[in-house]
Amino acid sequence: MTAAADATGPVPGHSPASVPPLTDDQVAVVALAGLETLGHRRIRLLCAHYPGPAAAARGIVAGTARAVLAPTFGTAHAHLLDPCCARWSRDLDLAATRSTLEQRAARVWLGNSPGFPVTEPLPDLPVALVAEGARADALDRPRVAIVGTRTATPHGLADAHDLAATLAAAGVTVVSGLALGIDGAAHAGVVAVGGTTIGVVATGLDVEYPRRHRRLYADVRAHGLVLGETGYGVGPTPWRFPIRNRIIAALADVVVVVEATRTGGARITAEHALRYDRAVFAVPGSRRNPAAAGTNALIADGAHPLTDWDEVLLALGMTPGARRTPPLRPVPDPVGRAVLAALGGEPASPEQLAARTRLDPETVALALTTLTRTGWITMHQGVVWPS
Amino acid sequence: MLASVASATLLGVDGQPVTVEVHVSNGLPSYTVVGLPDTAIRESRERVRAAILSAGLEWPQRRITVNLAPGGVRKHGAGLDLAVALGILVATETLPPEAVRRTAALGELGLDGTVRPVPGTIALVDTLARAGVDRVVVPTGNAAEAALVASVCVRAAGDLASLCTCLADDVDWPDWPAPVAGPDGAGDPGAPPDDDEVDLAEVRGLAWARRALETAAAGGHHLLLAGPPGAGKTMLARRLPTILPELTPTDALAVTRIHSAAGRAPVGGLATRRPFRSPHHSVSVAALIGGGSSRVTPGEVTLAHRGALFLDELGEFPPSALEALRQPLEERVVRISRQADALTFPADFQLVACTNPCPCGLGPPWCTCTDAQRARYRRRLSAPLLDRFDLRVAVQPPEPGAPPGESSAVVRERVQAAVARQHARYCDHPFARNAHVPARALAELVPLSPDATDAWLGESDLRRLTGRGAARIHRVARTLADLDDTPEIGAAHVALASMLREDVP
Ligand SMILES: [Zn+2]
Repeated sequence: MTAAADATGPVPGHSPASVPPLTDDQVAVVALAGLETLGHRRIRLLCAHYPGPAAAARGIVAGTARAVLAPTFGTAHAHLLDPCCARWSRDLDLAATRSTLEQRAARVWLGNSPGFPVTEPLPDLPVALVAEGARADALDRPRVAIVGTRTATPHGLADAHDLAATLAAAGVTVVSGLALGIDGAAHAGVVAVGGTTIGVVATGLDVEYPRRHRRLYADVRAHGLVLGETGYGVGPTPWRFPIRNRIIAALADVVVVVEATRTGGARITAEHALRYDRAVFAVPGSRRNPAAAGTNALIADGAHPLTDWDEVLLALGMTPGARRTPPLRPVPDPVGRAVLAALGGEPASPEQLAARTRLDPETVALALTTLTRTGWITMHQGVVWPS
Repeated sequence: MLASVASATLLGVDGQPVTVEVHVSNGLPSYTVVGLPDTAIRESRERVRAAILSAGLEWPQRRITVNLAPGGVRKHGAGLDLAVALGILVATETLPPEAVRRTAALGELGLDGTVRPVPGTIALVDTLARAGVDRVVVPTGNAAEAALVASVCVRAAGDLASLCTCLADDVDWPDWPAPVAGPDGAGDPGAPPDDDEVDLAEVRGLAWARRALETAAAGGHHLLLAGPPGAGKTMLARRLPTILPELTPTDALAVTRIHSAAGRAPVGGLATRRPFRSPHHSVSVAALIGGGSSRVTPGEVTLAHRGALFLDELGEFPPSALEALRQPLEERVVRISRQADALTFPADFQLVACTNPCPCGLGPPWCTCTDAQRARYRRRLSAPLLDRFDLRVAVQPPEPGAPPGESSAVVRERVQAAVARQHARYCDHPFARNAHVPARALAELVPLSPDATDAWLGESDLRRLTGRGAARIHRVARTLADLDDTPEIGAAHVALASMLREDVP
């Protein structure tokens, strides 16, 4: 299970000297977390029964863990108990896990030990967290989670990027999930201003998923931490993603949902945040936008509508910095102004703009070309988006 | 005794001259056909015999051998019946040999001696005229069509008995009825798909897509309309025939020839409208491109020659069919090789397609698909095919209260004028439409104004245009300028052309 980790080699941007030596418990908990289907609930159960993770690992190998885990299978899956115990006993490899952790200069925090990133006794917390990255100090700053849908609109992506950059510039660590869409835009916004960020992942830290974000993984490692509760070698498993979201909520002081569909994972993060008594902000959107249905529903349920990024800083007890001046853009000509007025801050097709302005297509097209070049709008898939 | 009569058979959409040689000799009565005949020709004995007897003439109780030359060409259909019958009548000295000298005969025979129409008359007669025949005898029903070939004397035959009389004396040839044109070109390849007369005036809003349709009609550009169901894209595309420019006389003959060969001769004799073909997405690759198991027949791409091929729900067509479209789109002819025959059919059509914008169907701006889903959808539609569209337009449902647009007649007048400008500009070139100007000739033939050059560089910069995409926008800009009746391409033309080629779906 650690073959991939061995092949990866040392992670760049690390100074192994800064990482304290690993205890047997730390190694054991990561090894346990790398066993397929064992899951965070059973690991917690084992660690509570045995004096600690190292003893739990010995219990797996010795077979005494069978009796502890039997109730978690119930009657329906009782026939799976023996095959599972046999596989866990076979796959558990403490030596390989230790060498992987050392080689990758990973940090491990046990839930009951000092330094664990979450100090409150929240329900459901991971037994341990594993982290890799150049900036362990990212945890020492105020933390804001920015989450949202993978199928974001250009406005949503721009908002996530802009909010993340604003917060990071003010010294806040931005926590997100390294997923496509809003998550990716938030991490990228931090990287753009050289802030700190934490990517909470549902896979092993050696599995970079989605593959399209490999560059972003490297950037997040350089500007902060990649962090998770899953052991090495564990690939993307659907059930691990929603439970990963509780870690994002637990790590954050404030959770901001930028765009979320009605059923997406960002809603789950927000629910965990409410359960953990975190302040939840949601960026309101058009009722026509399916990617804003979830955020609008959150607002209806009591989340704060976020229209000014400074409100997040105020919620953290921070003083908003000097107002950033919007970039200077050349003032559009009358036709350009008419087109912008017809746009009204919402996306529209060139055709709709022609209909609203009663201008002919050539005139509108020329105005749109000029507005694009001067940064007033962007064109995306044939649709005009105000910048 | 030996007789020979000229005739012709169809090879795809072209004629192939055939010499029918009949040898009648003493021996046991028999009837043999040699020279690659198909089943219909093998069975000609019964039709020819019944027709000769019905005409009150003598059927020789002797040994009859029919040879179809050249032997290497496969002959199709019952169109050689008349030539075989005349050959037998000459061979048995019922008709003098002079009666069929430098004369070709086309026609299927009924058991009662009537001469029945055959498909592809115009192509067959054209071929025979080129082969040096002076006179062609055709079924009465095909005579008007045959007469479109000016260089040959056309004679109509209603039945075998009267034909023999006319041939013997070369007098009293029957007239043929003038072609009866149906209402507004009914039966034409370009006639509206249903009886309802449609008009662009019925389409509300969609100014952008309408402009794209007009541009496609004027410049011969391929057009893709992407939009959610109910946006009106199909309704719009179906009205393309109402604004397509007139057929030139040469094109009219070419279109008539193809549709006649496909067994669908226009009622009016000569096609008057450009074809508009809209095959369903269940169409087979052979039916789309051409081919067939026993005999190679032209496909939809050839039937749409000098007209438009409309593919609704592009994503529903099998990938193999979309893939097969690339070669004819590129070369404007379709090459089919089957067994020994390698055939080239004309396929100079403009492609008009409608598609859903993406898997979720909502389309921008509120699409809920992931990038990966959209990329998969584009792959299914075949990226090289999407690249061939000069015009790609996202169609949004019209906003409430959108006014009805111009009527087809008004738009068509502009299109016709723009086409005339192109014909004048390209009179010394082997192409006639903006869509067909080779990329290397663009700068010289259709230069950009200094304003347009600036807009051009800006667009190229913004969109990182590749050479091919840039050439397509350049051609569309020229068509927009032609529709505006301006000699120079302006900045607004470039801006609109660029915006009419969006990355949709
Ligand atoms: Zn979609």
